[in-house]
Amino acid sequence: MRYGNIMYDRRVIRGNTYALQTGPLLGQPDSLELQRQREAKKRALARKQAQEQLRPQTPEPVEGRKHVDVQTELYLEEIADRIIEVDMECQTDAFLDRPPTPLFIPAKTGKDVATQILEGELFDFDLEVKPVLEVLVGKIIEQSLLEVMEEEELANLRASQREYEELRNSERAEVQRLEEQERRHREEKERRKKQQWEIVHKHNETSQKIAARAFAQRYLADLLPSVFSSLRDGGYFYDPIERDIEIGFLPWLMNEVEKTMEYSMVGRTVLDMLIREVVEKRLYMYEHKEDTHQSPEPEDEPGGPGAVTESLEASEFPEQSVSQTQGLLLDGDYLQRTTYDRRSSQERKFMEETELLEQDEETAMRNSLEEEELS
Amino acid sequence: MAHSQNSMEFPVNINATQITTAYGHRALPKLKEELQSEDLQTRQKALMALCDLMHDPECIYKAMSIGCMENLKVLLKDSNSMVRIKTTEVLYITASHSVGRYAFLEHDIVLALSFLLNDLSPVCRGNLYKAYMQLVQVPRGAQEIISKGLISALVWKLQMEQEEEFQELILDTLVLCLREDATEALGSNVVLVLKQKLLSVNENIRSKAAHALLNVSISREGKKQVCKFDVIPILVHLLKDPVEHVKSNAAGALMFATVITEGKYAALEAQAISPLLELLHSPMTVARLNATKALTMLAEAPEGRKVLQGHVPTFRAMEVESYEKPQVAEALWRAARIAVSVIEFKP
Repeated sequence: MRYGNIMYDRRVIRGNTYALQTGPLLGQPDSLELQRQREAKKRALARKQAQEQLRPQTPEPVEGRKHVDVQTELYLEEIADRIIEVDMECQTDAFLDRPPTPLFIPAKTGKDVATQILEGELFDFDLEVKPVLEVLVGKIIEQSLLEVMEEEELANLRASQREYEELRNSERAEVQRLEEQERRHREEKERRKKQQWEIVHKHNETSQKIAARAFAQRYLADLLPSVFSSLRDGGYFYDPIERDIEIGFLPWLMNEVEKTMEYSMVGRTVLDMLIREVVEKRLYMYEHKEDTHQSPEPEDEPGGPGAVTESLEASEFPEQSVSQTQGLLLDGDYLQRTTYDRRSSQERKFMEETELLEQDEETAMRNSLEEEELS
Repeated sequence: MAHSQNSMEFPVNINATQITTAYGHRALPKLKEELQSEDLQTRQKALMALCDLMHDPECIYKAMSIGCMENLKVLLKDSNSMVRIKTTEVLYITASHSVGRYAFLEHDIVLALSFLLNDLSPVCRGNLYKAYMQLVQVPRGAQEIISKGLISALVWKLQMEQEEEFQELILDTLVLCLREDATEALGSNVVLVLKQKLLSVNENIRSKAAHALLNVSISREGKKQVCKFDVIPILVHLLKDPVEHVKSNAAGALMFATVITEGKYAALEAQAISPLLELLHSPMTVARLNATKALTMLAEAPEGRKVLQGHVPTFRAMEVESYEKPQVAEALWRAARIAVSVIEFKP
């Protein structure tokens, strides 16, 4: 083997591989054949080159001119220095999950051994199962017994409760019945008492009413006569004629009497005035005349009219006084009618007479009055 | 085929509907947390596990002490019907024990349950009625239901429910509630409803309705209403019923209703005496007792006395009969004696 520098080995391709002619494409024959072919070619090429050098070449260009290569083909070709470049990309796939590691099954080593438990060799199932079963069943039954007993107890409790309730209900019913009875009796009693009370009350009321009526009757029996008597006393029953006389006649009578008396009074007064005047005149005249002889006569005169007036006042009985006054009036009239002149002596006498008469009458009246009083 | 190696899987879940409960005393706290979970499945499974656990009264006590009841109350308002059904079932089981009943009263569960009376799911309602029925077995439970004003709702539901089983449950509840306090029920026309139920085809319903009427007519107001609504002729009709316990309950109801005068005369008009006399020979002692008492009531009225004077020997025979239980025997003797004395009473 010959060893060479790789840098200087012709077999190693250097530089751009695109411009190179490719070798035989299809059916790569044997590499030896290929090598021989390549050597042959190289020899041929060397021969050609040698011949080339010997062959005449184009003459050198004339001075001032240059040789230029020209394309003489039919179709012109662009010649460029730049070599055609194409961008190519390449990308690796994304990371895949690492697949699970396959189970590591080590290769079998050792010996295979098998064993088999036949029936009846380990234990006797029927024998062994008994205690287990017993315990299980026992526990179950115990639990269920407990539950059943609980329920029974509850049922018993309920039953006794119910019984008690029934007894209680019957007792309650009895109590209520007795209560009801009691209530009825009480109500009945109350009602009867009330009735009795009402009867008594009515009885009392009736007796009171009767008593009141009797009393009222008695009281009022006297009423009618007493009413009448009191009315009569009060003067409500009057004899109309009497009343009429009393109301109508008597006041008139009194008025007339009064009037008459007034008249007589007036007359007497006038008479008195007259007498007085006359007497005064007479006196005056007498005094004038009698400056010489004095007489006790004028002393009687004032007594006369005074006595007359006194007797006038003293008189009470209207009839007698009426007659008196009438008499006096007549006398007075008579006196007036009689002469004014002859008054003095006649008057004097008359006056004395009347005075005496009246005095007698007076005494007579007084006596009669006294008699009446006595009687 | 069993393997020698331990399997990597979890052990097989026998009951897929239940959640696995923790061991020992961690069970309930963990269940409580799971009850509060957001996931519907978890809640349902937890409820199912709780159902099984609640059969044990000690568990109930434990659950109460850690505050499970509040969770259950919240779950009652859940939108999913399965959850509600299971919750009511849990509460029903709880109510069968006295600890559970105490829990009901403490945590005001009665009111929370009452919102479900109009629930659409019948199973849910059924559990609800069962829970109430268990609750009223004790007087305090009955008082609780009365005080929450649920009687009118129950009476209304009695009318509305089609299902006979539910009617029976409601009637059971009402029977025991009416024993406590009948005033509210009377206000809600329970007598009319019961009158309808007396004519039902189902014998249990008839018997329970008669029992309920018995309890209603213990109070004075109840008696008046019973007479007013003409229930007495129906009761007399029921005295001829083929079923024994219906007859005895009807006799009991009559016994109370005839205490007042109106009742007496209504019963006499409805010819109650002859069926009652037949009932004296009934095999059930309670029927005999009730019949004796009812006849005693009727004998207080002069007309009744006249009729019963001919039957005095029957009562005398009853006096000397012997029974197994001494209390019952004594009660019957006494009743017979009182009946005789009332019949032979001369003013």
